[in-house]
Amino acid sequence: MNLYLFQALNGIGLGMIYFLISVGLTIIFGLLNFVNFAHGAFYLLGAYLSFSIVSLTGNYWLALVLAPISIALIALLCEKTLIKRVYHLPHTYQILVTLGVALIIQELCISIWGPIGKNISPPDSLKGVIQIGEFFYPQYRLFVIFFAAVVAIGVWILLDKTKFGALVRAGSEDAETLSLLGTHTHRLFSITFALGVGLAGLAGVLAAPIKGIHPFVGPEILGIAFVVVVIGGMGSFTGALVGGLLVGLVQSLMTTFWPQGASLMIYGAMAFVILLRPYGLFGRA
Amino acid sequence: MIRKYLKQSAFALSIFSLASVAIADSDPVTIYGVKSLSGSFASYGKYADMGSKLAVEEYGEILGQKPVYKVIDTEGNAGKAIRKVQEAINQDGAKYFNGSTLSSTALAIGKEVNKSGGVFITPAGADELTGVSCNSSTFRWSVPTFGAIHETVKPLFTEHPDKKRWYTITPQYVFGEALLSNAKTVFDELGIEHVGNSYHSLQEQEFSGYLTNAMAAKPDVLLLLNFGSQSSNALRQAINFGLKNQMTILVSWSSGLEQFQELGTDITENVYFGAQYWHTVDTPINNELVTKVKNAYGITPNYPLAADYISTKLLLDAISEAASTDSAKVISNLEGRTYEGPTGTESIRAADHQVLKNYYLLKGKSAASMKDADDFAEIVSSGKSFPEESSLACKAI
Repeated sequence: MNLYLFQALNGIGLGMIYFLISVGLTIIFGLLNFVNFAHGAFYLLGAYLSFSIVSLTGNYWLALVLAPISIALIALLCEKTLIKRVYHLPHTYQILVTLGVALIIQELCISIWGPIGKNISPPDSLKGVIQIGEFFYPQYRLFVIFFAAVVAIGVWILLDKTKFGALVRAGSEDAETLSLLGTHTHRLFSITFALGVGLAGLAGVLAAPIKGIHPFVGPEILGIAFVVVVIGGMGSFTGALVGGLLVGLVQSLMTTFWPQGASLMIYGAMAFVILLRPYGLFGRA
Repeated sequence: MIRKYLKQSAFALSIFSLASVAIADSDPVTIYGVKSLSGSFASYGKYADMGSKLAVEEYGEILGQKPVYKVIDTEGNAGKAIRKVQEAINQDGAKYFNGSTLSSTALAIGKEVNKSGGVFITPAGADELTGVSCNSSTFRWSVPTFGAIHETVKPLFTEHPDKKRWYTITPQYVFGEALLSNAKTVFDELGIEHVGNSYHSLQEQEFSGYLTNAMAAKPDVLLLLNFGSQSSNALRQAINFGLKNQMTILVSWSSGLEQFQELGTDITENVYFGAQYWHTVDTPINNELVTKVKNAYGITPNYPLAADYISTKLLLDAISEAASTDSAKVISNLEGRTYEGPTGTESIRAADHQVLKNYYLLKGKSAASMKDADDFAEIVSSGKSFPEESSLACKAI
C-alpha cells in the first residue's frame, strides 16, 4: 500500500482521537458559552482514574465505564460549588477560575499517583495489529476510531434529536425565557457541564493506552482541543468532528512530507482557516 | 575633631570587617541544589533532590562544621532558574551548585556560576556543557552523546551483526542532532545502512506518522534518539504498532529506572536501552548507595538520584580535601580527580571537566524473569567512550 494513503488512514484515526478530546470542550463552550481551561485536567483525571481501576480490577472495560461517570460526577460537584458562580462573568474570569481548577487537579494527581508517568496496556482482546498491505495498524486504535464514531453519533442524537438537546440548545440562545417557561435552567447547565467534562474523562481513558499518562499532559491536550475547536468553529459539534479529522490528517501526512514541521502545521492549518473563516469552518459570528 | 572622628570611624570599620570575615569563615559549607521540583520535569527533580540531600546529610564535618543543603526550584524554566541562582549568589554568597536536568538551564547556570567564580556540577545532557560552551566552573557527570551512541549502537551491532538496516527518529534540536551525527559516524564505521530518519519537533507526542515512515523503510533496527516523555511515547506507540515483532528497537538515551517503571514490562521487554546508571551495577559504591537509599527512602535509586548524589558528594569531597572554600582550590582538586563512583572507577578530565564513566546498554526483561519489582533489565554491556582529548571542542579551560 502507498505510504501516503496509509498516512491518510492513520490521520483519520488520529483525527477521531482529537475529536474525542475536543468534543466536550466545544459542547461546554457552544451551549453554556463557558470557557473551560480545566478540560485537559479532567482528561488527565479520567486517565488516572482508569489507571487505578485497571490496576485494582485488571478490567479495562470497567474503567471505560466507571472513570468517565466518576469524572462527570466530580464535574457536577465542581459546577455546583464553583463553576456556576462564574457563568455570568466575562470569559477572563472563567479562564482564571478553570485554570485554578486545572492546577489543583494536576497537583492532586501528582500527590496521589506520584510524578512518574503511568502506562495502561490495551485490553488483551485488542492487543496486536492488523496488516493493511505492507503496513500494520494497532487493533486498539481501530477500536478507538469506531468507539469515537459511536460517541459522535450518540452525542449528535442527544443534542439534536431529544427533548434534552432541544432544551439545552434553547437555553444557550435565551436562558431567561426558557426559565420563565418553567425549565430548571441551572440543572440543565449542570448536566451539560458534567456531560462535556465526562467526555473529556472518556477521552482520557481511551487515549491512555496510546499516549500514556503523565501529570503534565493536561496543557498539551487543552492545546490540541482548542486548535480543533477553533478550526471547527467554537461551539460547533460538526466543527469538532471535521476539525479533529483535519488536524489528524494534516499532522499525519506532514510527517511524511515535512516531518519536523508536522506539529507546526497543525497551527498553520488553524491560522489558514482563521484567515479564510474567522469563526472557524462551522462557527457562527 | 574631624581627624579624631575619622580615626574612630576607620577603627570601627576595620573591627566590623574583621568580624564579618570571621563570621563568613565560620559559615558552614552550603551546597545549592538546582532542581526542577515543579513544572514538566518535576518527576526528575524530586529524585535528584533526594540524592543531593542524602549526600549532604550523611557527610561528616567540613572545615569544622556540618555542610548545609539548600534547594532552588528551577521550575524547569531556564529564566526562572537563572533569577533564583543570581539571588542566591548575590544575597547569600552561594558558591557551590549541583543539579539541573535541562540542558538549557544547566548551560545558563554554568555561565552565571562561572561569572561569580563558583563551582557547578551537572548531570545535564548537552554536549556543549563540556564542549564549545565549557568553562572553568562547570563539571558534567553524565556521558555525552558520543559515548551514548558508541556504547549502545556498537554492542548491539556486535550482538546482531545481521541487522544492517537502521532507521532513526530524531528530535530536531541540539541534543537530537548531536546523537544523530554520532550515530551516522558509527553507522559508517560499522558498515550499517542508514535507511532513513524522521525528524520531529520538541513538542511532539504523537509518533504514529513517524513510525509509519519507519515501517515503510523496512529497517532491521529502529533507533530512537529522543528523550524523556517523547521516547516513552514513541516507544509505547511503536509497540502498539507491533514494531517490536518486526524489528529490534533501541532507545539510545533512556532516563533509566523511572522510564521502565512508567512503561512496564509489556513495553520494555526485549527493547534495548542506553543508560547512564543502573541500580544493579556491582560496584562497592553502588551497592552502598542502593542500601542507603532503601534505608532512607524505601526505594531503589534511579539515575537522577544517583547522579545528583555522586555529584554532590564529589563537590563535598573536593572542598574537604582542598581544606578551603576557595573555588579555585576546589576546582583544581576536582580536575583530574579519580574516585570510586556508582559506575565503578570514574575520573574527571581536566581538559573539559567531563567525568569519564561507564555508559550501559540494557535489555528489557520479561515480567516472569524479574527478580524484584525494579529488576526491569539486564546489563548487556558497559564501557567508556569519549572523544579524544585532541579533538575536544572545549577551549575555555
